[in-house]
Amino acid sequence: MECYSEQTCTIFVDGELTVDEARRLRDHLARCQRCRKLVDALRAENRVLGESLHELPEEAAGPVGFPRLRLSWVWGDLAALAAVLALVSIFFAWVDKLRIPEALEWLNPFSANGLTNLIFNLSYNFAHGGTVMLADYAAVVGALFAVLGGGALLLGRRWRLHPPGLHLLVVLLALSLPSFALERRHGEFVTVAANETVDDTLLAAGNTVRVEGVINGDLLAFARTVEVRGTVKGDLISIAKKTVVTGSVEGRIYTFTQSLDLSGQLGHSIYGFAQSLRVDDRSRVGEGIVAAAGDVSLEGEVKRSVDMLLSGNVDVSGSIGRDLSVSGVSPGRSLMLTNTARVGGNLSARVRQLKDVHIADGATIAGKRDIQVQVRKSHFTRPRFYFHQAVWLASAMLVGWLGLALFPGFFQATTQAVGSGWRSLGLGVGVLAGVPLVMVVAAITLVGIPVSLMLLALYLAAIYLAKIWVGAFLGRMLLKPSGVTKRDWMLGLFVGLLILTIVGFIPYLGGLVRLGMVCLGLGAFAWQLYRASRPTIAA
Amino acid sequence: MDAESYSAKGPQPRDGKAKQMEELDLESVIGRARGHDVAALEQIYRRYVRRVFGLCRYMLDSRESAEDATSEVFLKLQRSIESYDGSIPFPRWLLRVAGNQCIDALRRQRRGRQVIVEVEEGATVVEARSAEPSPLGAVMSKEERAQVRDAIARLPENYRLPLVLRYYSELSYDEIAQQLDLQRNYVAALIFRAKQELRRKLAHRSK
Repeated sequence: MECYSEQTCTIFVDGELTVDEARRLRDHLARCQRCRKLVDALRAENRVLGESLHELPEEAAGPVGFPRLRLSWVWGDLAALAAVLALVSIFFAWVDKLRIPEALEWLNPFSANGLTNLIFNLSYNFAHGGTVMLADYAAVVGALFAVLGGGALLLGRRWRLHPPGLHLLVVLLALSLPSFALERRHGEFVTVAANETVDDTLLAAGNTVRVEGVINGDLLAFARTVEVRGTVKGDLISIAKKTVVTGSVEGRIYTFTQSLDLSGQLGHSIYGFAQSLRVDDRSRVGEGIVAAAGDVSLEGEVKRSVDMLLSGNVDVSGSIGRDLSVSGVSPGRSLMLTNTARVGGNLSARVRQLKDVHIADGATIAGKRDIQVQVRKSHFTRPRFYFHQAVWLASAMLVGWLGLALFPGFFQATTQAVGSGWRSLGLGVGVLAGVPLVMVVAAITLVGIPVSLMLLALYLAAIYLAKIWVGAFLGRMLLKPSGVTKRDWMLGLFVGLLILTIVGFIPYLGGLVRLGMVCLGLGAFAWQLYRASRPTIAA
Repeated sequence: MDAESYSAKGPQPRDGKAKQMEELDLESVIGRARGHDVAALEQIYRRYVRRVFGLCRYMLDSRESAEDATSEVFLKLQRSIESYDGSIPFPRWLLRVAGNQCIDALRRQRRGRQVIVEVEEGATVVEARSAEPSPLGAVMSKEERAQVRDAIARLPENYRLPLVLRYYSELSYDEIAQQLDLQRNYVAALIFRAKQELRRKLAHRSK
């Protein structure tokens, strides 16, 4: 009988020949010495292969911990960064086609107009402790998440969200949001004519939004200029460069604007951020004002209290029914009450120097005057500061623990993703800058509003969680534990957060470190979300 | 294997539970791990991390991606262990999962395309039986075994992957075919060609 091929013998030695064939080959081997020799040689080969492979290369001898921050990231990750930038520019090219930036040019940081605006706003915001405000806001969202997570834990389920479950939850959330009766107008110049009445809430986006008629619902306006000459019976919500109300708003005004001019009637209150806020002598505010603004001029009548949280110059020449409180007057700016000013309640002001307060002799203040000069004392000398830091750290640890208990795989993998360095950093910068723009663009479309709100919640939560992932990664890098237990992770988190907190207080550098931390964490989160959205591998 | 001896010199102070785990047999450790017992999962990690990393290192082209893949395997184990039904030995099952993880990583690098594509030359190999004894069969020393590993590392991917899956993970041809999405015959041919190539490389080196 003819001898078998070497390949057949190889398959035989691997034990992969069918039973019949193997029996025939075995019979042949009993007669053929040449084939027997070959099979023996192949067996020896297999043994050597197995032994050599199982010995493992030198580098496998050490434990595989979490990957360390590598220097070899540079090229690949610079490419990733470039890709992110390219994507962002493609996004803007696309946005440009939609002609949205004309209305929102002042928001677009890639245009000259938007850039100066952004730089001005950012420097102004930072100078006035805006980062602290953002961090506080993020902390509130973090606490909310902690409460929700705690509730879920108390329900006693080891609750894990798999991607389909997550999708379902998102859909349910989206559906559970109240659906408004909403009319939507979009264009270069959106007007509600003098003889026109809009019965629903109006969502208007354009370069100029002008209301001369009547809106029975609320007005949501995204524009360069928003003018209300007629009547808005509900609330006015404006995100605009310039907001002017000469007519009447019967509800409240919520605004995020460069300048707000009120010379008409307002039923309730103003809540807002504005670079300049003016309530002129023809106007009347039915309730109060709570705002952070650069320059404030109150010439008209405010029925209740005025609270300026952050401010530059504050000039009061009109009347305020109750208290006037001004805090955070920046250095070199002043609080001035003219002869015609009238404050029905107390005046309280926090200023840097006493000479920053000018109260004319003719000004009337019915209540007490409480003017405090805030001497800048180092916060390191105050015990309250340490207490706050301890609470901050404890709440971050709690949130970290909850996260790990609820989504163990996701949290550990995100921690690990921080280690990709440039990729996370580049992605994080993109997400940090891109998400607010996406939110604004999404909010312009009708269906986008709930999506935009959910995105905002996720964004703030991720900003808060960023330090947890970066802290945990840093801790792991330093401690190099051999295991992947929760205890190791929590210990790493504690050490990492402690270091980040201390480094965060170094002047100038601290701010950069915090920004880097947020970017890294956000990037890792985005990357992990992307990875989690792909199908997992079954055994 | 010597994973236990390695774990004993781990830098961490061990608590009573972990120590107790170490003494348990594999079956009960797996049982506990399926109930999401963290100490049991940690014990599995300690026992098998080297073997899994070894496979990932052979299959992937950098230490970093091998580390990433290893971590992924153990992170996903918390969930995937539920699908282990005990029909095959646990180490083999774990290596199969790890192999899948690596192939998935490779596929991702290729934007979802197949890792090894069957080419026309097909499953049959025409070969002349060499009269010379194989240089592989004569390997005895540690240095020589290191040379074998080195030669395997330099094999093209389409030879290296099936070879490693067969002789390191000890998977059957069918399992390899399933993992790589190839015909069984083609896998047999690739393994055969891989060995030929390996012999050629080693013979070339010893000359």
